[in-house]
Amino acid sequence: MNLERVVFGFFIILTLSLNYAFVAGGIESPAHHNVWILTLTIIVNLVAIGLKLGDRSQTGALLLASGLVAGLLLITARVVWIVADAGGGGAPGPGDMADIVSLATGALVANIIATAILVGDTLLSRR
Amino acid sequence: MTPTSDLDRVTMIVLRYMRRPLFALLFVYSVGVMGMALMPGRVVDGETTYMNLFHAFYFFTYTATTTGFGELPNDYSDEQRLWAIFCLYTGAVAWFYAIGSLIRLVQNPHFIQAMEGFRFARKVRGNVDPFVILCGFGDTGSLLARGLSDHRMRAVILDFDPERIKALGVRDYTVAMPGLCADASTPKHLLAAGVEHPTCRALVALTNDDDVNLKIAVMARHLNPQLRVICRSTSARHEANLRALDNVTVVDPFEIFSQLVYWAIARSELHNLNAWFVGARGVELGVPVYVPRGDWILCGYGRMGRWINRCLREHGIGVRIIDPDVDTNLAREGTVMVQSNADLSALKEAGIHDAAGVIAATNRDADNLSTLLSVTELNPDTFRIVRQNSHENQVAFDAARADLVLQHSLTTARRILKLLISPLVQDLIDWLAQREPAQTKALVSRLQATMVKAPPHLWSVKLVPGEAPAVTDYLEAGGTVVLGALCRDARSFPEALPCGALAIRREGQAVMLPDEDFPLGVGDEVLFCGVKWVEPMLQATLHNPYTLRYVITGFDESRGYLFAWLEDRLRRRRSDARRNGRRPRP
Repeated sequence: MNLERVVFGFFIILTLSLNYAFVAGGIESPAHHNVWILTLTIIVNLVAIGLKLGDRSQTGALLLASGLVAGLLLITARVVWIVADAGGGGAPGPGDMADIVSLATGALVANIIATAILVGDTLLSRR
Repeated sequence: MTPTSDLDRVTMIVLRYMRRPLFALLFVYSVGVMGMALMPGRVVDGETTYMNLFHAFYFFTYTATTTGFGELPNDYSDEQRLWAIFCLYTGAVAWFYAIGSLIRLVQNPHFIQAMEGFRFARKVRGNVDPFVILCGFGDTGSLLARGLSDHRMRAVILDFDPERIKALGVRDYTVAMPGLCADASTPKHLLAAGVEHPTCRALVALTNDDDVNLKIAVMARHLNPQLRVICRSTSARHEANLRALDNVTVVDPFEIFSQLVYWAIARSELHNLNAWFVGARGVELGVPVYVPRGDWILCGYGRMGRWINRCLREHGIGVRIIDPDVDTNLAREGTVMVQSNADLSALKEAGIHDAAGVIAATNRDADNLSTLLSVTELNPDTFRIVRQNSHENQVAFDAARADLVLQHSLTTARRILKLLISPLVQDLIDWLAQREPAQTKALVSRLQATMVKAPPHLWSVKLVPGEAPAVTDYLEAGGTVVLGALCRDARSFPEALPCGALAIRREGQAVMLPDEDFPLGVGDEVLFCGVKWVEPMLQATLHNPYTLRYVITGFDESRGYLFAWLEDRLRRRRSDARRNGRRPRP
């Protein structure tokens, strides 16, 4: 067992879980989506990216790339939330909410890919 | 004058053939279209209408091709109908004439040949994978092509016999093998086959004519001096000529055959290893065929017979010769020579009852098979080696149950294949042939332990950045990689993968059977023999720096910057603590 693998696996899978937790629910209803979960997802995702910096293997490069994609989409979703909720206090309207959730769903795909790569690499190396 | 290419020839032939029909079509079209536009149409509102030129062309197009949509866009007047009849007949005739010429053109043998040459050259030019040019597609050539296809190596085939090239089209090779029916000794065809192509690995001249082979080799040398040339030659004069050129390897089928006969007779363990390496049918590693000692009867004293006789005598094995054309007066002291066909009486005269075995080596399969029958009748215990000349007689030779069947086209093809795919294997076999049999036996028992009855898989790895980036990086950073470490299994450290290195080539020098702690260097070419699934495993080690480090040190290193930094700190603190601990207290 390798401590680095444990830590990295933890962050990658946590990102996926949080991302799903945010996306789950009706696409237009703000009540189903929590801005705190979105923010937390971004932070965890950034940590996962940071852990992957410096890996020179091919799978490491792929994991870094999928992490960057997820980060880009999640941050865009957060920015849309900020812009839509300019007044503060209230929640974004149904149209803006749909944009935010669909962006986060895109990030979910990238996170699923990253998890699949991680699991596949571990299974293939069989150590 | 610029040289004409096949494309120029194709264009030229098309133009020459189609000039007349095209002019005929043009003439008929212009007359028909203009006439139709000039014909007065129906009178509408007191004014005669005319068809415009576009509509006339539209009308003529569907009429001349006998499609006939009817009277479009409006009903015709009688004058127009009259002209329409004229248009129909002339147009249809002109069209049939043009189509007939076109069909005659595509059946023209010069056109077909030029098209094939053009397509072939285009296919070869567009090829990006490494390939071999094969001149001559007879028995040896087709066996070699089959072997190359098994190793997923492309070949470009030239042969002057159209039947052989047609046969090429129906073979189920694993890779594309374009073929052209052409004289391979013409430089134009060699160029079309890709002699100057950057991914062309070698040229193999395998035609039955030694003069043609020499010509091909010389042409190829002039066109591309860097290209490796392998040339089949049976004439000593040509061999001397060819060996003087560098990059040219001469392969003499008779020499290879007689060498194999000698190995089979006197070095059975080496013969067994060699047969196992090339994947011969029914060969088990470490179970050599038992061959009795004594004098051998050689039936057939032609070119092949002379080679075998010379080869066996050099190694102190007695030979008795049976041949209808041998001159018994030339027999040296102590040699038995029988001037006869190898029938019952001749075999008796040669002393079949106290001979170790019989080599039936004439160039006629029927004679060899009948000799086998006679031998079985006289002394069934005699060891029988037989030469098979034609690949088509395979079934008969299988049924004859000789102890060893050697087919010179197959042995030659295998030797060339080894030279092309893994030249180090042949070097290793030659090296072992010059050493004591004990060395071969040691290698065989080592391979038996590694392979555990699996069929052999040979591959070579060159330690260059393209093929083994992790290793070259590690070596350039000042590390040492020994052979044994590279072969460790990353899944169950420190066990070894079921594979072994047979030879290493470094700067042109070959190191045979290197041991476990042989330090590797950048640019080394290592020949591995192992179970098939080992190759991708080893590939992973060669490409992934972390796996490589793990198999060398047994320690899984951190990958990211953060953990590398943490680990470094931890290590430093530990070593500090150790140093402080050792310091004597004041």
